[in-house]
Amino acid sequence: MTEATAPVPKLSLIEVCSGYGTVNIIDTLSMTVPQGQIFALMGKNGMGKTTLLKTILGFVAMRSGRIDLDGQSIAGVSPASLIAAGVAYAPQEHALFQDLTIRDNLRLALHTDKELKQGIERVCQHFPFLRERVNQKAGTLSGGEQKMLILGRALMLQPKLLLIDEISEGLQPSVVERIGRVLVEECRANNTTVLMVEQNLDLVLGVANRWAVLKLGRIDDSSEMDTGSRARILAHLKI
Amino acid sequence: MTILLDVITTAAILFVVAAGLLAIFGVLKIINFAHGAWLTVGGYCAVATTGMGLNPWLALPVAFAVGSALGGITEVLVVRPLYRRPLDAILATWGLGIVVGQLITLWFGRDVQFTPNLLSGTINVFGLDYSFYRLFMVLAALVVGLGFAVLLEGTRLGLSARAVIMNETLARALGIDTAKVRLTTFMIGTGLTALAGVLLTPLTSVDPDMGLAWLIGAFMLVMVAGSSFGALAVACLVFGGAQTLVSTFVSPVLGGITVAVLCALVLRISPKGFARA
Repeated sequence: MTEATAPVPKLSLIEVCSGYGTVNIIDTLSMTVPQGQIFALMGKNGMGKTTLLKTILGFVAMRSGRIDLDGQSIAGVSPASLIAAGVAYAPQEHALFQDLTIRDNLRLALHTDKELKQGIERVCQHFPFLRERVNQKAGTLSGGEQKMLILGRALMLQPKLLLIDEISEGLQPSVVERIGRVLVEECRANNTTVLMVEQNLDLVLGVANRWAVLKLGRIDDSSEMDTGSRARILAHLKI
Repeated sequence: MTILLDVITTAAILFVVAAGLLAIFGVLKIINFAHGAWLTVGGYCAVATTGMGLNPWLALPVAFAVGSALGGITEVLVVRPLYRRPLDAILATWGLGIVVGQLITLWFGRDVQFTPNLLSGTINVFGLDYSFYRLFMVLAALVVGLGFAVLLEGTRLGLSARAVIMNETLARALGIDTAKVRLTTFMIGTGLTALAGVLLTPLTSVDPDMGLAWLIGAFMLVMVAGSSFGALAVACLVFGGAQTLVSTFVSPVLGGITVAVLCALVLRISPKGFARA
């Protein structure tokens, strides 16, 4: 009876298998991301973190198992419909159209131009440097600025669920801190749920409510963020 | 002076003929060898429209509608499974072109058909009487070129199409329905090609092989132009100009192959043609 009153998680995966060719990269993985929280997924390289995000979005086919969004199965739902339903994705690699302007990059996140002005205004409140440069090509931005644009674009639609792939990679600490601040603000203001794949322990400790470590396609360890989390995560990530 | 007008109008005609092929190649990276068949379909739309006693200008919207409808069916049934196999797509569209040609023969017969002139007579340009219709083709080319520029730079569809050209994986990750972008682009390309077929009717006779004569030239120009309409315009001016000069001063027969030969030479020297990488 207690289960009936428990809130429906934003995202839940039950014994999910997926991969490329004959290999299962994600192997009977189960996890639950609660509504309105920042969930950090950690793990060494090659453990399947990016594949997991792509499986949730439907870019990599799920071979077995079940993925629920708001308690509803999303098997067979196209990436385009998922994104229209409020799921945003900030990929790690080749994540911007370098030859398009910042404005056009932001515009591509929306379905119509109706909300463009408001959307850009909202993104510029988070990252004011974009305001002066909306007509510049995205390729002219520095590495850190590009990452902020990627995050800004993912926030254009005010997503309900935000999937982020290693946004902090190669960034200086001040930029990482700023990105973390934006994520926390966004969650608080819009009740956004965030699933972030991340290698930067300081960022995870600073913003996440919950963490999990992925090892060979399964959740090896998972917990709410507490005082013992740092030592536990480090023990998993040390080589 | 006549030569200069000939160069410009020839370039304009080539541009109108090749634009639909470029639109499809630019976005979809598919060489649509049924291009000649869509030109022919356009020509027969003109025949059918005037056959029904309608205003010959009506053939333009009719051809665009028929061409894009047939293009839509082609994209879904023939081209869609072949995006990852571009060589097979060339063969499949070539075969489709033959089928369309035969169907037209069955329907209208082998004979050459004639359509009324859309615009007859000459006009005085700088003291010279010149074909009104050929000059009109310059306007048509400008409308087509500017139309595409506005479509690509000014609309969401154009932005989505450019996003698909640049990075299709990312476009999908942003929720762009890339299948719809491809279908729409293909339909616009074939519709425009059929429309070009109507525009050709006053300049050439209409028969089931009418489009074939234009296919190789259009194909070579698009190979040189890459995916840029600006580069296509330049290519049409340069090679169309060469064609005019060879036809006038050497032999019209050699003129007919000038575009193909010169484009092949350019691609031999610079594989990217006029498009900057």
